[in-house]
Amino acid sequence: MEPGLLKSADWPALIDVYFFLGGMAGGAFVIATVANLLDRERYREIVRIGYYVAFLAVIPGPVLLTVDLGLPTRFLHMLMVAKPSDAIGMDAITIGPFHLKPFSPMNAGAWALLGFSLFAFLAALDVFLEDRGGRSMRTLRAVVGLIGGFFGLFLAAYPGVLLGATARPLFIGAHWLGALFLAIGASTGGAATAFVLSLSGGQRGDALSRLMRFTAFALIVQLAALALFMLTVSTSGSAGIARSLSHLVAGPYGVPFWLGAVVIGIVVPLALQFAGVIRKTAPAMTALVAVLILVGGFIVKYVIIAAGQAT
Amino acid sequence: MARTLAMFTDVSLCIGCRACQVACKQWNQLAPEEPEWTGTYQNHHHFTDKSYRLVRFFEETDDKGQIKQWHMMSDVCKHCAQAGCLEACPTGAIYRTEYGTVNINQDICNGCRYCVSACPFGVVAFNHDTGTATKCTFCNDRIHNGLGPACAKACPTQSIKFGFRDELAVVAKKRVDELKTLGYKDARLYGEDTAGDLGGLNAFFLLLGKPSIYGLPEKPKLPQKNVVVDSLLSIGSALIVGLGALVAFRGRGGQGDA
Repeated sequence: MEPGLLKSADWPALIDVYFFLGGMAGGAFVIATVANLLDRERYREIVRIGYYVAFLAVIPGPVLLTVDLGLPTRFLHMLMVAKPSDAIGMDAITIGPFHLKPFSPMNAGAWALLGFSLFAFLAALDVFLEDRGGRSMRTLRAVVGLIGGFFGLFLAAYPGVLLGATARPLFIGAHWLGALFLAIGASTGGAATAFVLSLSGGQRGDALSRLMRFTAFALIVQLAALALFMLTVSTSGSAGIARSLSHLVAGPYGVPFWLGAVVIGIVVPLALQFAGVIRKTAPAMTALVAVLILVGGFIVKYVIIAAGQAT
Repeated sequence: MARTLAMFTDVSLCIGCRACQVACKQWNQLAPEEPEWTGTYQNHHHFTDKSYRLVRFFEETDDKGQIKQWHMMSDVCKHCAQAGCLEACPTGAIYRTEYGTVNINQDICNGCRYCVSACPFGVVAFNHDTGTATKCTFCNDRIHNGLGPACAKACPTQSIKFGFRDELAVVAKKRVDELKTLGYKDARLYGEDTAGDLGGLNAFFLLLGKPSIYGLPEKPKLPQKNVVVDSLLSIGSALIVGLGALVAFRGRGGQGDA
């Protein structure tokens, strides 16, 4: 690839904010769902907070995306068109005025955002009614959790697949961005839930420590996916691609990448976890680790997207 | 689908007069732009929302950095048989016409700009005035009235030829053979092969050397080819993370171990 030939979409940072919040929402939702299915009573607080975090974090998504459009009044065109499916791309499906393009991650992601928003609302409504003394229907919550969980995983991963399906040199040779973004969604979703849980003081037994254990595991997956992303990019052989990778790891984004994304976002939280600091000390320490994970999770997405668009 | 229409640009005939660029601007009523200094006669660096045609100028240098040869090439949207912009478009605004060309419906585009970053040739440009993406249409209005694109009509040397793809391919191959007998050993076609990269380009080129001399990718790749592998890896990552959650939250209460 010749970097001089290509153009960038020049997506502003508010798209990164959406990618971050969407991933966090998906992660928190999936964690809440798993906790709910395994032991509803013991993880009551994780389920409550997780579903609330998921709902509140996804609300700004459609707004941020719509504001960024060249013609915001046409945001519904993401889902609706009136054209034969064979004219608009590979395996496109049209049903009435709606269309689904499986090879356009932005189109599939718009559907996932719609689906997730609906189920995140239902789950949040369910815990809200329960908080108000109402009875929650066990089966209904499980079904909402499972379907919403599928959309949540999709929402966390699709921005990475979306970037991978551009001609940008940093992304076209990479294959691990979807996996990386999914892991970031899991770690930041866990961290956001843990942050609220540690400050609210409503934890029971070992629920918080189990949540932090999962978050540490997600961070390890995140680290592995990040390493594999860099490996596939650096071995793809083109000079243009190598240039764009060096822009990320050694150029203007080098310091935020290593210091922010790797050290603050992954290494320090993991070190604190393995040193056992969290279990033995005050909730304030858990909150600090959670904040580090959240900050690092945003920075890693931000620098990858910024470096990919700049070169 | 009607017979595929195509454009064949023979760089060996290009004299860099930029009549095509001017004709394109006039017919499509594209507003004037501030000139850009690029170091050559080329203006602008890239395709813009107001320049759908772009005559590129290149200086080929030898090992010692001495100028070996000048190259001129009138560049345009390739109307790829497998088009990155069309596949990326979430709205369906980008569509394939009955002639095999790729157009952007300005009434549907919502300005997400995904196509801009998905084009392997950097063709699609975002128009900040209209809020939509734009590019060459092969003069869609003209070709539906049998006129042929403005650029091809204006070209004084017939470097730009327009017609049915199968007929142009025959002309192009003949021209390569002719140039080879004249001593242009490296003459080749770029994008003519429908079994090749991106399913062939409906605007294909005769080049006098390697594509990289002209700033073109040697092997352009359809970005959406990554979607299946990336999705499978994402599913793998989801399974691992899901398994981790099951292990972390399963089992009796007590002291959790890190």
